[in-house]
Amino acid sequence: MKIWLRGVLLTILLLLTQGVVAHEMSMAEMELRQISPTEFLWRWTASGNRPAGEVLKPLWPAGCRTEQALLRCGADGLRGTLAIKGMGQGYSAAMIKVYWLDGQARVYTLASGRPKVHLSGSSADDTPQGAWSYLYLGIEHILLGVDHLLFVLGLLLIVQNRWMLVKTVTAFTVAHSITLAVATLGIAHVATAPLNASIALSILFLGPEIVRRWRGESSFTIRHPWVVAFAFGLLHGFGFASGLAQLGLPENQIPLALLLFNVGVEIGQLGFVLGILLLERAFRLLEFHWPKFIERLPGYLVGTLGAFWTIQRVFILLRGAA
Amino acid sequence: MRRMRLRALIALATIAVAPMPAHAHLVETGFGGFYDGIAHLAITPADLLVVIALALFAGQRGTRTARMVVFALPLAWWLGGLIGARWSVVTTLPLLTTLSFALAGVLVALNMRVREIGVAIFAVIAGLLHGVVNGATLAPGGASGLALAGVVSAIFFLTAVLSAEVTALPAGWPGIAVRVAGSWIAATGLLMLGWLAKMAR
Repeated sequence: MKIWLRGVLLTILLLLTQGVVAHEMSMAEMELRQISPTEFLWRWTASGNRPAGEVLKPLWPAGCRTEQALLRCGADGLRGTLAIKGMGQGYSAAMIKVYWLDGQARVYTLASGRPKVHLSGSSADDTPQGAWSYLYLGIEHILLGVDHLLFVLGLLLIVQNRWMLVKTVTAFTVAHSITLAVATLGIAHVATAPLNASIALSILFLGPEIVRRWRGESSFTIRHPWVVAFAFGLLHGFGFASGLAQLGLPENQIPLALLLFNVGVEIGQLGFVLGILLLERAFRLLEFHWPKFIERLPGYLVGTLGAFWTIQRVFILLRGAA
Repeated sequence: MRRMRLRALIALATIAVAPMPAHAHLVETGFGGFYDGIAHLAITPADLLVVIALALFAGQRGTRTARMVVFALPLAWWLGGLIGARWSVVTTLPLLTTLSFALAGVLVALNMRVREIGVAIFAVIAGLLHGVVNGATLAPGGASGLALAGVVSAIFFLTAVLSAEVTALPAGWPGIAVRVAGSWIAATGLLMLGWLAKMAR
């Protein structure tokens, strides 16, 4: 490839990196405390970078109205549909904690996939509303987690046949499921800064392997990509867990919420893999003859972004240590 | 009878030249603007059907035509989207957008022999038209450029995958199935046209 073309390509990729940031999930928390059969004190108790009150607007059940921190409901009490407007703009989810007069508490999780919840007006509501939100949160985490998707793309560029693809994707899934569970259940913990740097390094690691594959060379990774997928999958699992930790889990439904979050991640991941495979098949069937540099663009993207994130995250790590 | 026909024609012409106010309806997936754009294509029948019909038609005409349409349609759509967002006409053009997918459906159903440049021109016109409407409707709703990127990416993906699969179909009934799909799209278009004429009265 001509030198000027390489320069242009590198510039474009570096510009692209400016817009790509690792995804962070944030959850707002609201507390509703019953003080009489028809009255509640309400407030946002936890927020992300922007105060939840600026971004999110509660849409109370019919018959309820607020007077600053006081929520007054009619004779039916807090009964009906509670929704939160503005979800997805800075906040992925909102956890609503309702403390009833009888001392019982109920937790509901609202997310973009489940933007409303039905309140029964008393603490007798046992429907497991919260856990299902984690399915959507899992899908969201992988779809917005560009670093995880880029790692999967790197693996797809290395695998040579369908059987190897199945083995590699399965190994990645098994590995990240193990560490996601281990970290979420509190058995092991990895600090965020070195973890993020390691995940970036796993993407950078694939860059030279993709180049070897282009050149027709062989390496351990090219012969056994599933081993690499498993090893680095363990790291990515800790990454998923840190996303989940930011959200928190409903105390009485930890196993179900964890399972659903993982299933959500798998749905997003398999959708991405399927999309790439379908596109690759389409290009083959339509007999596209791409210029070399276009053909290699995905590989350059993996390597460049991997390098960029590694430098950026190692810098953050060192700055934190200093 | 002639009078009725004339009335229907006038009604349709009225819809065509008197564009309706746009109602921004970008679906919020909660996954950000890019995915909102993808979802927008999926839940906007006129847009989705014209993309499917054009992809099927391009596939019927062979790999060379399909290769052209795979790029012509999303690029024209993107350009139209920018125009619509920049010079916000604030309109929807229901008759034209319905006509475009109905016509594309008819072409698929008839497996019409059209030269590749003709298919590409049709794709460009349809892309510009639907893109302008997209841009005009999405921009006032506060949709970002990422939403348009999502729409265009979804169009590229759908066109590439569908047209490629059609080119690879074996001769015989699979080809007939594609024509049947085209006839359904055309029928949907005719129903929509009837509905629009009724609404205009």
